[in-house]
Amino acid sequence: MTMAQKAIDQSEYVQRTLKDTQDFSWKKFFLQWEWLLILVFFLVLVINTNLSPFFLNGAGLRDATMIFLDKAFIVFPMVMIMILRDIDISVGSTVALSSVIMATLYNDFGLPMGAALGACLLVGALCGLVNGLLIVKFKELSAVIVTLGTMILYRGIAYIILEDQASGNFPAWFSFFGWGNIGGIPFILIVFAVLAVVFTLLLHKTTFGRQVFAMGNNTTASRFSGVQVDKVKVIVFTLAGIMAAITAIFLASRMGSTRPNVATMYELDVIAMVALGGISTAGGKGRMVGAIIAVFILGYLQYGLGLINIPSQTMLVITGLLLLAAVGIPKLNVSRKFKRFRRKQLE
Amino acid sequence: MSEYVLELKGITKRFPGVTALDNVHFKLKPGEIHALMGENGAGKSTFIKVITGVHAPDEGEIFLNGEKVEFSSPNDAQAVGIAAIYQHVTNYPDLSVTENIFMGHEKTHKLTGRLLWKEMHEEARKVLRSLSSSIDPKAEMGSLSVAQQQIVEIAKAISTHARIIIMDEPTAALTSRESEELYKIAESLRDRGASIIFISHRFEDMYRLASQVTVLRDAKYIGSWGINEISNDALIVAMVGREINQVFPDRNGELGEKLLEVEGLSKAGYFADISFTLRKGEILGLTGLVGAGRTEVCQALFGIMPYDKGTIELKGQKVNIQSPKEAIRLGIGYLPEDRQLQGLVLQWSIGRNITLSALKKFDTKGWLNEKKEHAFTKNLAEKMHVKANSIFDLVSSLSGGNQQKVAVAKLLTAQLDVIILDEPTKGVDVGAKTAIYEIINELAAQGYGIILVSSEMLEVIGMSDRIAVMRAGRITTILDRETVTQEKILEASMADKPKKNVG
Repeated sequence: MTMAQKAIDQSEYVQRTLKDTQDFSWKKFFLQWEWLLILVFFLVLVINTNLSPFFLNGAGLRDATMIFLDKAFIVFPMVMIMILRDIDISVGSTVALSSVIMATLYNDFGLPMGAALGACLLVGALCGLVNGLLIVKFKELSAVIVTLGTMILYRGIAYIILEDQASGNFPAWFSFFGWGNIGGIPFILIVFAVLAVVFTLLLHKTTFGRQVFAMGNNTTASRFSGVQVDKVKVIVFTLAGIMAAITAIFLASRMGSTRPNVATMYELDVIAMVALGGISTAGGKGRMVGAIIAVFILGYLQYGLGLINIPSQTMLVITGLLLLAAVGIPKLNVSRKFKRFRRKQLE
Repeated sequence: MSEYVLELKGITKRFPGVTALDNVHFKLKPGEIHALMGENGAGKSTFIKVITGVHAPDEGEIFLNGEKVEFSSPNDAQAVGIAAIYQHVTNYPDLSVTENIFMGHEKTHKLTGRLLWKEMHEEARKVLRSLSSSIDPKAEMGSLSVAQQQIVEIAKAISTHARIIIMDEPTAALTSRESEELYKIAESLRDRGASIIFISHRFEDMYRLASQVTVLRDAKYIGSWGINEISNDALIVAMVGREINQVFPDRNGELGEKLLEVEGLSKAGYFADISFTLRKGEILGLTGLVGAGRTEVCQALFGIMPYDKGTIELKGQKVNIQSPKEAIRLGIGYLPEDRQLQGLVLQWSIGRNITLSALKKFDTKGWLNEKKEHAFTKNLAEKMHVKANSIFDLVSSLSGGNQQKVAVAKLLTAQLDVIILDEPTKGVDVGAKTAIYEIINELAAQGYGIILVSSEMLEVIGMSDRIAVMRAGRITTILDRETVTQEKILEASMADKPKKNVG
């Protein structure tokens, strides 16, 4: 570089043109976390097919999908919560409480099932709203502690209402949620797909989603930029409550009844799916699509392991190791280059 | 044995985009109280961090008693007897005084490793008594006053047998009586043979204590004098340096109608009875010492800090500002002092940062129009002369000056009338400073009303139409551009007038 060029480059006054299009690079395109997830997904399919001749059996695969998809609804808002650098461990209890209230209103208070469904959604939303309000009100308390409190609280209320009894006897049409098909495709899968699209667009294409990412990176700067940080947080936690209630509906429909102890440890499965999906636990980064792929990886993995009679204890070990590998690999030095690409990708 | 207990030669320290220290020298004699002076941002803090081993210098050498040393961590500096006491006391407020004093060098039983509480309490009491202080060693640190906490910090320095004690603006938060006590302690430390590096903005401190003064300016070493060798005026020139007219663009804008009128604004414990007006196209400087309440007033106007009393009138309308969102909607924008924490999302691109404060502009029924956003940010970033390749470059990769341009561009995205700039040139290189001054001037010419908060006197004098000076939460005076001098600002911002020509 000549001196003159250097001087121009250093100057604060030279009119510069800034590019407003991003160069497309195949390298960058393929160095995305999601490709790795897709690879793992097919790996799971291939290994399972080799280990068990029953795995690719259409009906079996369909039933398995119906079973693990119910908790997957909570993955959508949990992605947002974790991007906000928070966590919600009360979602399993919210599922239990909203389904127990739904069943009790129908069975013991004679409400029509439609109204009971509405009440279920309302209870879920309320649980989430309470979480959100507590978290923004008591800023010195972390979301883990607040939702640990409500996790115990919501579950406790469910036990008081139903006293360790099951409540079922739902109308016949209610089983459609859990078992119904439309043109051979499970109803739950259709609902999941629609919500997946809705939440992906909400997170990545709207002003609201942009604000969520901004807060996850720097809450203070977001507030100074006029983002209503408390409002955004309360909305996201309320969405988690609503999605937990939707899970409650599908779960109760599939089981035919509900008990206060349903959906125990769901929160951990959901958080595992989100973390595997590449959502940074440090907040501010991640994509909805990664978490959606992770739902199917964990779901089919557990189904496949079940088919070859691997005891559930071993299943826990395998799931735990997979999760550790997923969050650990990007932190290893060997993959520094990959990490750099991933960071740029997720910007 | 060398004549100097500590000697630094040709110290240079660079940070990305900024040279914080440029070939700085320093000599400290045993038993000397040595004042280190300079404007905010002159490099004093970085200099202290080099001495205490927090930063390793890029160039230069450090000699201790004539022997060359290299510190790779604060522990190394501590081990050879260097201790620092900071303006904002850094301690463990929930632990006892004794625990704070012995943190890191606890007395333990040789065999069992058990902590010897009795001995430590006794020792702490002894050290505190030698400082003529009656603080209870078992008291909780957080329950003490700032002055008392500083005495504990000094006790800690003594208990580590520190030979060189650095005091970074220790009197900033003290009353004059407390300051006098601190002076006495400093003198007794000196008489015991310790050397003290004393940093202060108060001339009074310097004249009262120091026998030698070294001045830094714009990261450079300016000189070192015996306290009787230099007059007060010469010292101010050394600190402030350059001619005003060289750096600042001409102000010749027309002032328009009244934009903002603040009347009796008060917040208990922070500021009181703040009244001023701001007109279209006007730059109102707001200065005073750090901690005088300038930032708090600005944050009240921006809806971050709620105020107790007073009224704010914007374009003749009484307004009640409760949140930044509302402030921006009403037309008041704020460039925060801490660019990295409050101003920008560092991990984000230039483009996304620019639009964050006005996403509504690119929003149709909730959907973000990214195409429109990209075109807009490209245009604005180019106008601000942001030095980068594309609007997708991360803000963290930019220099301080260019980051600040992005932060200013953020303000221009929203429809504003009043722009509050809090230390807009802090941590910015001289060249970029001039660019930012021109941008500010240009904004005033476009009809924005601008409140310019700055600790740099020359910046305020060079840029403003009028200058409001704050001290201890109140506006002491509002000076006109034509009649303002540095002495007048100093006088209004300091509790004690600097003495003229000592010696």
